[in-house]
Amino acid sequence: MTLLSGIVLLGLLMLHAFTSSQGQEANLLHKAALVKQLRLTDLCLFTEARYTRHLSQADLNTAFQDHPLSMEHFPSGSFTQPNLPGITR
Amino acid sequence: MILHPTVIANLLAAYTSSLMLVYAAYYGLQILRHWNIESGSELQLILERKTYLVSTVLSYVFGLQLLSLFLFVFTADSLRTLFVGAMCAAGTLNVNAFGYPTLVLKVVNFVTSGLWLVLNHADNQGYDYPLIKKKYLLLIVITPFIVLETLLETAYFLGMEPDVITSCCGSLFSGEKKAGLGSELASLPAIPTLWAFYLTVIITLISGLVFYFKNRGGYVYALLSFALFIIALIAIVSVISIYIYELPTHHCPFCIIMEDYSYIGYLLYVLLFGGVVAGSGIGIILPFRKIESLKHALGGFINKLALTSVLMYGAFTVIVTYRIIFSNLIM
Amino acid sequence: MNVWIEKQRYIIDFTISSLMRRKVKNIGLLVLYTLIVFILASTMFFTYAIKREAAFILEGSPEIVVQNLVAGRHDLLPVSYLEEIKSIRGVANVESRLWGYFYDSLVGANYTLMTPPQNQDSHKNQGKTTVVENDNGDPHANHEAHALFEYEGALLESGTLIIGNGVARMRGIGKDDYMPFMAADGQIMNMKIVGKLSSVSELVSSDLILMSEADLRKLFGISPDKVTDAIVTVRNPSEIQTVAGKIKKRIHSARPIIRDEILRTYSSIFNWRGGMMIVIFSAAVLAFVIFAWDKASGLSAGERQEIGILKAVGWETGDVIQMKFWEGAIVSLSAFLGGVILAYIHVFFTGSAIFEPALEGWSNLYPNFTLTPFINAEQLTTLFFLTVIPYTVATIVPTWRAATIDPDSAMRHTGG
Repeated sequence: MTLLSGIVLLGLLMLHAFTSSQGQEANLLHKAALVKQLRLTDLCLFTEARYTRHLSQADLNTAFQDHPLSMEHFPSGSFTQPNLPGITR
Repeated sequence: MILHPTVIANLLAAYTSSLMLVYAAYYGLQILRHWNIESGSELQLILERKTYLVSTVLSYVFGLQLLSLFLFVFTADSLRTLFVGAMCAAGTLNVNAFGYPTLVLKVVNFVTSGLWLVLNHADNQGYDYPLIKKKYLLLIVITPFIVLETLLETAYFLGMEPDVITSCCGSLFSGEKKAGLGSELASLPAIPTLWAFYLTVIITLISGLVFYFKNRGGYVYALLSFALFIIALIAIVSVISIYIYELPTHHCPFCIIMEDYSYIGYLLYVLLFGGVVAGSGIGIILPFRKIESLKHALGGFINKLALTSVLMYGAFTVIVTYRIIFSNLIM
Repeated sequence: MNVWIEKQRYIIDFTISSLMRRKVKNIGLLVLYTLIVFILASTMFFTYAIKREAAFILEGSPEIVVQNLVAGRHDLLPVSYLEEIKSIRGVANVESRLWGYFYDSLVGANYTLMTPPQNQDSHKNQGKTTVVENDNGDPHANHEAHALFEYEGALLESGTLIIGNGVARMRGIGKDDYMPFMAADGQIMNMKIVGKLSSVSELVSSDLILMSEADLRKLFGISPDKVTDAIVTVRNPSEIQTVAGKIKKRIHSARPIIRDEILRTYSSIFNWRGGMMIVIFSAAVLAFVIFAWDKASGLSAGERQEIGILKAVGWETGDVIQMKFWEGAIVSLSAFLGGVILAYIHVFFTGSAIFEPALEGWSNLYPNFTLTPFINAEQLTTLFFLTVIPYTVATIVPTWRAATIDPDSAMRHTGG
């Protein structure tokens, strides 16, 4: 019985996911338009350091960027990838 | 190495099934060496108990094998965004040399595992473990392949370097360049391949029905259903795919599992794999029909297998035909 | 076939009633199991949703960004490079960008200061079309007024600012307030806020401050012959890679970043993050597996007796294993469903409340954003593999051991 109600609830959530993603399409488009208009390149997720604010614009030596022994010390650095593939140029 | 949740899930599945299988194979070896149904020794009792463990373990492992085949293709497909030029699973599997061997081994292992389950089920029908030695011999044959598969899969995932330029399915399965198996399959003439496919389907289905109703020609059907499996796979690459994509140059067998084609590929492949396991399974257990303890039970089981296989192939053909007729592509 | 289904039904019925009889023991297991699924599912839902969102939003980011590297760090780009890039074949247009970071010592937050592109007017119209599109969207969002700039006709002039919603929240300021800046030459610049970027766009614009080019140059002391970086538009999208290569060849200190790389960076960052979390949580999963193994093998006297009686009344070993299989399946499914549902609520209704402190790190300014719910079969399958399979594997051997106990010894042991 509880199992059945769980399945029903999950189905409802799936429905919610479906309908709300339809509803939020406008929000997504709005954000995408802003990115296009302001020529933005990154998500504003971590504002604590300049290389975590613009992840795709940072380079491989960001962890050492202040001086050769300055290892990564911002918490968000532990979430982001140590080497960003393709940004090695 | 790509630390992706789905990759971790894949490796977890591969390693658990390998470990469980090696564990089961160890007892399989003991059973092969010491099994004696006449004896009432303690070892025999222990072994009889262990057979329950081994068959439970193996049912789980082979269930896992089925799921992991699909998960593997799924993963390859979803990693495509990380590689330049990869547009579907065909591209990601080509990232390094281990991708395609892993896939081929997975398909082979899936079929052999299915056959083992068929054999196991037949064995359970009899009270005196009539097929036990054959069953465990097959298990010991399968085990190294699954271990090898795990190793290849590990090498494949560990060797993945994102941003390696891989060829996308457009060039791998395109009819213009003649290199590699994929392209050769794709460059097979479409219409004759389609005829060959339908011819095999008709012959196989007729032989299946003959076997179901008249109980004749079981081996022929087993052989035919295996042949149909191979021909259907070739037909998917060379002709069925282009009707589904409605693009005369796109031959990829993986893109049909993507959302854009409403996941039809999963249905097609499940039907195909189910068909071959049930169909060839008949060939495996047919020799044992004469065994005393299986005489009664086995007939019904074989009939069920035949029916399942015929129905699955039938459904496969109906779906494919439907897609070809209602495709906007006209050849 | 029907007989088989009937048999399974009876076994399931029996299993459920026997599970119900030992509520306390099973509820403990169920709660832990649900918790494990919940944590893993939350991580996966969050990373997948944000990955998809990033891929969608950043699709509109510049085709090529060209930075200037000096001594291994990016430096200001001389304006003369722009002409140089424009002369490369296949380049449709080159624009300059002017932006930088500003540390606000008052609240301890970093802002991104930026000059919006020159042709403001044509883009303002674009903003208006977005509003029209929203009319058939949900009414709540409409109420917010989605216009790209929340001010009527007030263009960004010298001495004015448009701020992101995060900045406004942080400083507690809004339209018509003033915001003082200390310029590079020590002068105080008191800037008037004429607008605020919409709150729905916080994921990309939370810390932005838009100001005119003249103001930004004065504030940072950037000479007119320098810009931060350049944006290149390419005529034929399939040539982006080639053009980037040519830029690199023409200007040796340049570092071109193409759009695909931006997208791939975000994709792999979140893959990495999700995978990393799962590796960390694998310790918890392992602990849970040990717990499940222990629970399954530590049969209570009552359970032993039960199995003994079942076997004495004619159940076969295979039937007992089937019963145990259904027991595991029921527990797994309930925990899986429960965990997934809770995770969904956690991530998409409460905005990942549990993860937020970890994501914020040391930054004072963190965007408030709601993710667009996104679940697909891949996530659910992966979750299933990561949670149900370890549990199942852990219980196989104890199950078998329980199923093969001799009926007489089972009943005799409990009798005493």
